[in-house]
Amino acid sequence: MRMNRKYKIGLLFALPIIIYFLIFFLYPLVSLVQNAFTNSAGTFTLANFNYMLRDRILKISLENTAYYFFGSVALQYSVGFWVALILYNYTGRLTSVFRTIILLPLMISPVVIGLMWMLLYNVNYGSIDYLIRIIGLPPVNWLGNMSIALISLIIANTWEYSPFAFLIIYAGLQMVPQQLYEAASVDGLSRFQVFRYITIPSIRASMIVAFLLNSIGVLKGFDLVYVLTNGGPGYSTYILSFYEYVVAFSYFEKNYASAIAILYLLIIGAFVFVMLKFTAVEEYLGLRKIKE
Amino acid sequence: MKIKITSIIVLIILAIVSLIYLFPIYWTLVTALKNSLQIFTYPPIFFPTKITLSNFYTPGNVFGAVSQTAVGSIPWMIDSTIVAIIATLLSTILIAAPAAYSLVRYIKSIWFGRLILFMTMIPEAVFVVPFFLIVAKINLLNTWWGLIIVYISFTAPFATWLLMGFFNDIPKSVEEAAQIDGLSPFQIFYKISLRLVTPGIIAALVLNFISCWNELLYALVITYSPFPSGAQTVPIFLTSFIIVEKSFAWGGLAAAGIFTMLPTIILGIFAQKYLARGLTMGAVKG
Repeated sequence: MRMNRKYKIGLLFALPIIIYFLIFFLYPLVSLVQNAFTNSAGTFTLANFNYMLRDRILKISLENTAYYFFGSVALQYSVGFWVALILYNYTGRLTSVFRTIILLPLMISPVVIGLMWMLLYNVNYGSIDYLIRIIGLPPVNWLGNMSIALISLIIANTWEYSPFAFLIIYAGLQMVPQQLYEAASVDGLSRFQVFRYITIPSIRASMIVAFLLNSIGVLKGFDLVYVLTNGGPGYSTYILSFYEYVVAFSYFEKNYASAIAILYLLIIGAFVFVMLKFTAVEEYLGLRKIKE
Repeated sequence: MKIKITSIIVLIILAIVSLIYLFPIYWTLVTALKNSLQIFTYPPIFFPTKITLSNFYTPGNVFGAVSQTAVGSIPWMIDSTIVAIIATLLSTILIAAPAAYSLVRYIKSIWFGRLILFMTMIPEAVFVVPFFLIVAKINLLNTWWGLIIVYISFTAPFATWLLMGFFNDIPKSVEEAAQIDGLSPFQIFYKISLRLVTPGIIAALVLNFISCWNELLYALVITYSPFPSGAQTVPIFLTSFIIVEKSFAWGGLAAAGIFTMLPTIILGIFAQKYLARGLTMGAVKG
């Protein structure tokens, strides 16, 4: 009886978010399914999913998304990881200055970041090509070359989000107990051994959380593509989010766009599922504490 | 001696890293401060000796049509601010705080927690079509309220997730003591627990404010008109400015970028200690 009353109070507190779920999760989900399985006249059809199988642009977008995902995550993650490690090994007075500078990209709107890189990447008057020419390399058409544009996006994306991995891993490093390092030096471990057997295992949680959140951030990406390349040249920087947007709001094919959205949701869902299933990320994010 | 050399190397590497993170911002700033002769020159000028502020208020001239200026973005900044404040307050205070409290103290369902976590991970592009259709249906396209409603979709679960961690940190004894004093569950929530998570509320408000302020995709489709509609936010101002001026008024574009990023940079630096915990979904204790 007491339990029952407690549960009722809990439901009352949760009422706003239950309504939220109905409006912002259940409704759009039903709407997506309904639109994806009908044509523009509203009759049931599987044509949208059939078309997916032969849609050349969708295939290109999926491939680009895969390249963009693996390239961005690998770069962001390793840059963030090493920068965190280097700053952790710095013992001078400028720690907070460096930290603030490295975190600046996280405070800037992605649209402005797109604008900044547009200025940097310009072939004739941008500063990156000038530096390249000083070294003696030929100028690069960063955003206009079909085989380079996606790499340019990955570089800009890395500048934007590597501070994110840095932030999480740096925080993890700061929580490693100093006694562990002291014990290691008593035992006479080499630098590499300390890194391999003490540092890495101690920051495992931060490393996994950083990987999850960085990956989700990249999979969500839309703004940089929209501002920097608008999908071009050709279809070379079409990624899933951008293609869905084009189908929905340039071709006005809301039914087909809904089918793509379902595919997109399934990809995200599969990724999150794998992360939850095979890593202890839930525990690291504090989800298990709810039960206590 | 060996230690000294390594620490100098570390310092040098950090200086280079800082330079890389600062350079795009620096380059945009100096572009904003150059006149067009200095911008369109080769080799590029890295340290302009003569600087001008005219890019911030002088409109460019594209085929006879007068373009926007950085200072002209102020109406868009007001729209952004109003939309961001209302969406953030509604979702944090009305939805997220009671939900997080209930989840941690009453319902204690891991599945509920997982659902909220998953909601924070759904890309905007996934639900953009249904949201557009419903906002069109209730006749709120091109209005503040249309955007505010849609923004609640991502601000509410994020704030809920963040606040769950903060509510969890409150010792249960505090609430038990209040219960013995005869306070009702609702009084305990809003007189005691809610006050104790003030830092969490601030973190949720600041971070959600920044993400609403910067949001592009929903704003693009909800306020899609080619003319200022009275509800367009800063990212819309910037993207249409970029499309028009891409090859011409770089000084003006750079100035607009610098001008419009000031509010979030100031807010971000001011709230830096909350940034860590918020951005990492609570994985980092700030």
